Amino acid sequence: MTYKSRKIKIEKVESPSIKIDDMVIEIGEVEEDTWDEAMGPTPKPEWMDLRDWDHKLIEKYEPFYSPTCDMCCLCSFGKCDLTHGKKGACGIDSKTQQARMVALECAIGTAAHGAHARHLLEHLIERLGVDYKIDLGMNIAVEAPIYRTIVGSKPETLGDLREGMDYSEKELQHILSSVHTGQEGSYVDFESKALHAGMIDNLVKEIADIAQIVGYDFPKGDPDAPLADIGYGSVDRKKPVVLFIGHNVAPGAEVITYAEVNDKIDKIEVAGLCCTAHDLQRRRDSAKIIGPMSDQIQFIRSGIADVIVVDEQCVRVDILEEAQKVGAPVIASNDKMGLNLPDRTLDNPDEIVDDLATGRAPGVLIWKPEKVGEVAVKLAEKIAPIRAKYKEGSLPSEEEVKNEAARCVSCEKCQRACPVNLHISPTLKEAANGNFAPLAKLREKCIGCIRCESACQRDIKVLSLIEKAAEAKTYSETYKIRIGRGPILDTEIRNVGAPIVFGEIPGIIAFAGCSNYANGAEEVARMAEEFLKRNYIVVVSGCAAMSIAEYKDENGQTLYERYPGTFDAGGLVNTGSCVSNAHIIGAAIKIPAIFARRNLRGNFEEISDYIFNRVGAVGVVWGAMSQKAISIGTGLNRWGIPIIMGPTGTKYRRLYLGRKDKPEKWKLYDAKTGKKVDGEPAPEHLAYAAESMEEAMVMIAKLVMRPNDTTRQVKLAHYIDLHQRYMGTFPDDVHLFVRTEADIPINAKKKILEIIRKKGWKPRKIPDPTLLERMIMKKKEAGK
Amino acid sequence: MEAGPKKAIPVDPEGVAKIINRAERSSLAIGAMILENDRLIEFVERLSKAGISIVATAHSIKYTTERGIPAYKAGVVEVTNLLTDPSWEGFDGKGKPDVLLVMAINLDLENATFESLKNYSDVKSICIDRYFMINATYSFPSLTEEIWIEYLERLCQELGV
Repeated sequence: MTYKSRKIKIEKVESPSIKIDDMVIEIGEVEEDTWDEAMGPTPKPEWMDLRDWDHKLIEKYEPFYSPTCDMCCLCSFGKCDLTHGKKGACGIDSKTQQARMVALECAIGTAAHGAHARHLLEHLIERLGVDYKIDLGMNIAVEAPIYRTIVGSKPETLGDLREGMDYSEKELQHILSSVHTGQEGSYVDFESKALHAGMIDNLVKEIADIAQIVGYDFPKGDPDAPLADIGYGSVDRKKPVVLFIGHNVAPGAEVITYAEVNDKIDKIEVAGLCCTAHDLQRRRDSAKIIGPMSDQIQFIRSGIADVIVVDEQCVRVDILEEAQKVGAPVIASNDKMGLNLPDRTLDNPDEIVDDLATGRAPGVLIWKPEKVGEVAVKLAEKIAPIRAKYKEGSLPSEEEVKNEAARCVSCEKCQRACPVNLHISPTLKEAANGNFAPLAKLREKCIGCIRCESACQRDIKVLSLIEKAAEAKTYSETYKIRIGRGPILDTEIRNVGAPIVFGEIPGIIAFAGCSNYANGAEEVARMAEEFLKRNYIVVVSGCAAMSIAEYKDENGQTLYERYPGTFDAGGLVNTGSCVSNAHIIGAAIKIPAIFARRNLRGNFEEISDYIFNRVGAVGVVWGAMSQKAISIGTGLNRWGIPIIMGPTGTKYRRLYLGRKDKPEKWKLYDAKTGKKVDGEPAPEHLAYAAESMEEAMVMIAKLVMRPNDTTRQVKLAHYIDLHQRYMGTFPDDVHLFVRTEADIPINAKKKILEIIRKKGWKPRKIPDPTLLERMIMKKKEAGK
Repeated sequence: MEAGPKKAIPVDPEGVAKIINRAERSSLAIGAMILENDRLIEFVERLSKAGISIVATAHSIKYTTERGIPAYKAGVVEVTNLLTDPSWEGFDGKGKPDVLLVMAINLDLENATFESLKNYSDVKSICIDRYFMINATYSFPSLTEEIWIEYLERLCQELGV
């Protein structure tokens, strides 16, 4: 336990022997170590400390670059053209520039999570005190696996978490500084810095979620966390509606608290978009999730929200303009987003309410979450009757849709601007003739970016027309989602640790990230369903968790209603918001800690080596959009967990691809003998972009394979079956993954043996795999 | 799609045929959008008969197999990655393609392919999809669906298939 900067102030002491006036004694950092686990080699690692590990990964999985821009525009030497071998004025080449941009993106994503974590932590310390205990319940002793592994200490209070924040902020500054002109000159080391940023991202997410779980009394790893409502239809528009958009729950939690204390909680609707919504529901299960971040403009244009509170991350930056169109005032509540609004933090709440309700001010900035709580509730009640005309219907009428659609000249600029290539013009033609069905169908794939409207030379409000066409379905649907449960229980890890490491549970599939889907949200749900049916453990968070909820089977049930919330084979585990996906990595870390009794403390490399070689986990970021998505994914990579993105993932410029045609890349140490032995491409890639859901599912089944799988029968059976189902063929690389005949699925053993023998397959021993030479030494010493 | 100073040259079907005829090894990468128009798979079959090797990305191998078209299966990023390796000798070990045609792949992934090949390989890339792709070496202009199909027909005829 670490105590930071304690101050003792003695105002006046008078005695015969001593006289003190205004004395301040300040003690710096005091460490009281109550944790008896031995310290590992890298507590609070700097970039250099883990560089060797990164280089091992990068050597296996060479970066594949697709330069989103051929130029560098970061300093006044340029613009510099880096195309096809040209160098910039500072000497940088194209690959290094791409890696530099990835490092920058990862630093931005990490900064967003880090600033979020710091804000929440300090707010909660202010409210609850520095010594407020971190207690995640009797089934969670390893309360902060990422923190323990990286920071090398065990946080026991909210105040303890400051040590991790201080460390992360320092590291982030170093990473960011390396992007400056004339610093790093190697793409490999830029990648290493991106991996470092990603790891820090994972740490600060864990800090943020632990802080909010204990500070707001969220569910503490409850597998039976209740089901709650999601969808436009879940909102009672007759009530005053306060809508939250973003990721930081502090102001939303205060709105709920204010409404509870003042007996108004049943009189207003508290609803949210994006991750704040998850956390509002974790705070109080009557809060409603509208949907993922891509629903922002649609929902605002519906006019249902009376007050819009924005906090941070992934909020439309033109929110004020859109809100004004439907007479909804905006409250900005966080230093990430000022919107040039007047700071009214110190003003009388009733005066603020009056100014906003009467339209004298379109929005305000209020820094104090408690004041946001009071103002938002009072404002919603006051303005709801005034806004009645908007709430009844802000979308265009059917006649207006027809007339607007008829103005389309089929130039198809909208389609070219559309990130998902929606065929908009033909549907407008149909709508002009009164057939709204094709237009309504577009909503299933629309990501709500309104680039179509920006591109339209006739200024047609395409999104509003789509929304109207799809209104009947969208506004009547309510779905069920399991409330974000936060961490995985130690007891659950004890149950599944062995079957995961031995390969009996085929894998852990984590669906995370944004809703920038190339082909609609339903694909995420269909992928999750496929792996749930096959008894994989499916863990979800963020917008992906919401998309999965918005899909019902023929009986009208969502996957959350059909599958249990336990971290076990066939379980669908919703951890919560983006910051909660730290618990997915946490679960992977807990396996070596609890099942294999490996020390976590300051022991990043050994733990990552264990995960890489033994824990068949794969992250799927199907709708990756933000810088946070790439920092999350890159963090997973550093822990040895591969990720699969959708097609948009290539816009981050970099993937980590393995080469199965190069056997020398897959050699590893057998820790028992100390020899370098042949391995297999398992996992084949570390960061991959798939084009279709079908391709992704086959790749997921392949990437869960790990060198240590005691038996690979189950994993191979699913890989072969999925390949045959979705590719229509037997996979051509099975021979690479069969080590002994025992790996071959029994039901087709003869056929598979015949196929792989034709490929020259020969059996080989299953090693005790490690990428770390020092782990061999440990084994030798242990054997003496 | 964004671009730098090196931009695609617009090309018609006859121009594409000339480039293919001059190339040592041409390959065509197709992807998940192969069923977007009923005739696309027919064109793939004809181009295959013209000696162009087919790389089926995403799950399009299912449709080439059903139709009996010989094809290599790979992810589009995998095949692009291989093409940027100067030492790679092709799927058949006989040599790397020097021309890659691309069609019916998600536009983001098509663009990533063109960006990567433009910067890190000497492979000439040709977009024979519906949209002008600025990072390819050569590209069909943006076309209506009808004219695009007509372009593909002309390309096949020019190649004698």
